[in-house]
Amino acid sequence: MEALKNKIDYLLGNALVVIMGFMVINVLWQVFTRFILADPSSFTDELARFLMIWLGVLGAAYVSGKNLHVAIDVIPMRSTSSRRRRMNIMVDIMIILFAFAAFVIGGSRLVYISIVLGQHSPSLQIPMAFVYVVIPISGLLIVFFKSLKLNNDSNI
Amino acid sequence: MMEYIPILVLILSFIYLLSIGTPVAWSIAISSTLTMMVSIPMIPALTTVSQRMATGLDSFALLAIPFFVLSGELMNRGGIAHRLIAFAKTIVGAFPGGLALINVMAAMLMGAIAGSAMASASAMGSILGPEMEKEGYSKEFGVAVNITSATTGLIIPPSNVLIVYSLASGGVSIAALFLAGYLPGILTGLFLMIVAVIWAKKKNYPLGKRSSLKEVFKTFWEALPSLLLLVVVIGGIVSGIFTATEASAIAVLYTLILGFIYKEINVKSLPKILLDSSSTTAIVMLLIAASMSMSWVMSYENIPQSISDTLLGISDNRIVILLIINLILLFVGIFMDMTPAVLIFTPIFLPVVTKLGMDPTHFGIIMVLNLCIGLCTPPVGSVLFVGVGVAKTTIQKVIKPLLPLFLAMVVALFLVTYIPSLTLWLPKLFGY
Repeated sequence: MEALKNKIDYLLGNALVVIMGFMVINVLWQVFTRFILADPSSFTDELARFLMIWLGVLGAAYVSGKNLHVAIDVIPMRSTSSRRRRMNIMVDIMIILFAFAAFVIGGSRLVYISIVLGQHSPSLQIPMAFVYVVIPISGLLIVFFKSLKLNNDSNI
Repeated sequence: MMEYIPILVLILSFIYLLSIGTPVAWSIAISSTLTMMVSIPMIPALTTVSQRMATGLDSFALLAIPFFVLSGELMNRGGIAHRLIAFAKTIVGAFPGGLALINVMAAMLMGAIAGSAMASASAMGSILGPEMEKEGYSKEFGVAVNITSATTGLIIPPSNVLIVYSLASGGVSIAALFLAGYLPGILTGLFLMIVAVIWAKKKNYPLGKRSSLKEVFKTFWEALPSLLLLVVVIGGIVSGIFTATEASAIAVLYTLILGFIYKEINVKSLPKILLDSSSTTAIVMLLIAASMSMSWVMSYENIPQSISDTLLGISDNRIVILLIINLILLFVGIFMDMTPAVLIFTPIFLPVVTKLGMDPTHFGIIMVLNLCIGLCTPPVGSVLFVGVGVAKTTIQKVIKPLLPLFLAMVVALFLVTYIPSLTLWLPKLFGY
């Protein structure tokens, strides 16, 4: 399982690097077409916003895997180790439930609705489902990462 | 009674989640979801939360944040921080507490070209911290100066958090906010310098050596390419040539080229820099996404309206209301990071103060200055953690030298709150 996690971490990290690099190039292209070519590109604004959603939502999974989200640990730090263990387990369970309910179920329904309604983005004309599909993907990854953590936390 | 249930669910679940150590962003998202679930059926509630979170990030203006984070990262590794410090040294180094003043001035310069306080706190702390210790400064005083001065970078433009405020306030001009930030930022910096001088005199810290005019010009010349970034970014935004996002992308390109010219960055180091800044960005973005959904839930439950009625019921005196809001925000800043605080409390307080005839630009600066103080207080002061971490000391030890600097920031806050022209003069001058 740990090997799989490392592999997913590596892939996710690379995906983020590509998205970030692509975002910079995209906006620079917007500036270039507006000032140098005097023929402003029509799709860069929309593409940039969609890349941003992908970076933010996929990044949430990456950061969860690395446990980098900021928490206030004043109370857990002052509790006994068995209470702290129970708190950690509770935190893991809450995040797993949330990621599954809101990201996987809610996100899938969002994708489903946008397919049924045939929503397309105004300028790129890509199906909105492509944009939203990152939500359930990220949800599944968070469930996976946090289940591993839950397993570790409950075995201490 | 029934109408209070969603509010109770929101507040109690949020406090419970925070107290057991749930990351702040998840606490916000989970308590918003629970609140939605008591108001509307479950499946639509879940869909709404996921949709609000995704569309919360769907803004071109927000893109400036990853880019300013990235250019800040490039500045730190690209030798720009060193050059700014060298320049600050020749200007304020000869005063009592010279190194502390250098720290404040360099942090302000760094703030003037980068958009985040964390980058500046870690750069200044790792470069100037050891120097201060060598000259006999107490380590804790150095940390206290470093973290308080780093927050000036959030008021001095470009500033990520002002972009977030522009979003939360429903479109206050970023250019106006940026211009409005200069004087309050410089004022806060000056106050911090005054405290540092007094402290240094009391402790008899050594004077630095006086620099010749030649040295001043030499270091200025070396820092000039970095400072020119200010002209490109802020000049571009204020004159309306670029949007903030375009300017931030140009800042990335500019710092990248400088880093290559200074031979501090090469193609091989790029993926690591991109990954570090994406993960910093992702942390902020989850906070933004979660806060956007909480803010939506709150307005769905009419919470801003009831708070506004309560506040205006207490008094309709502007001075009193602003005092109450300042105190609430100071308190909130202790427990909440800046980005969610701005996103959640702007929709609540902005209607109140605009009803009292206050300028939204002015209120943005008050809010950010206020929350800057929270960044330096435990338990969630992110800048405090960076500063303490870089210097390898503990929070308890830093509190004492931090107090007079806090006081200076609070005084600056009250001046900025009650003298609107400090904020509004510069934007007016440029026609905003």
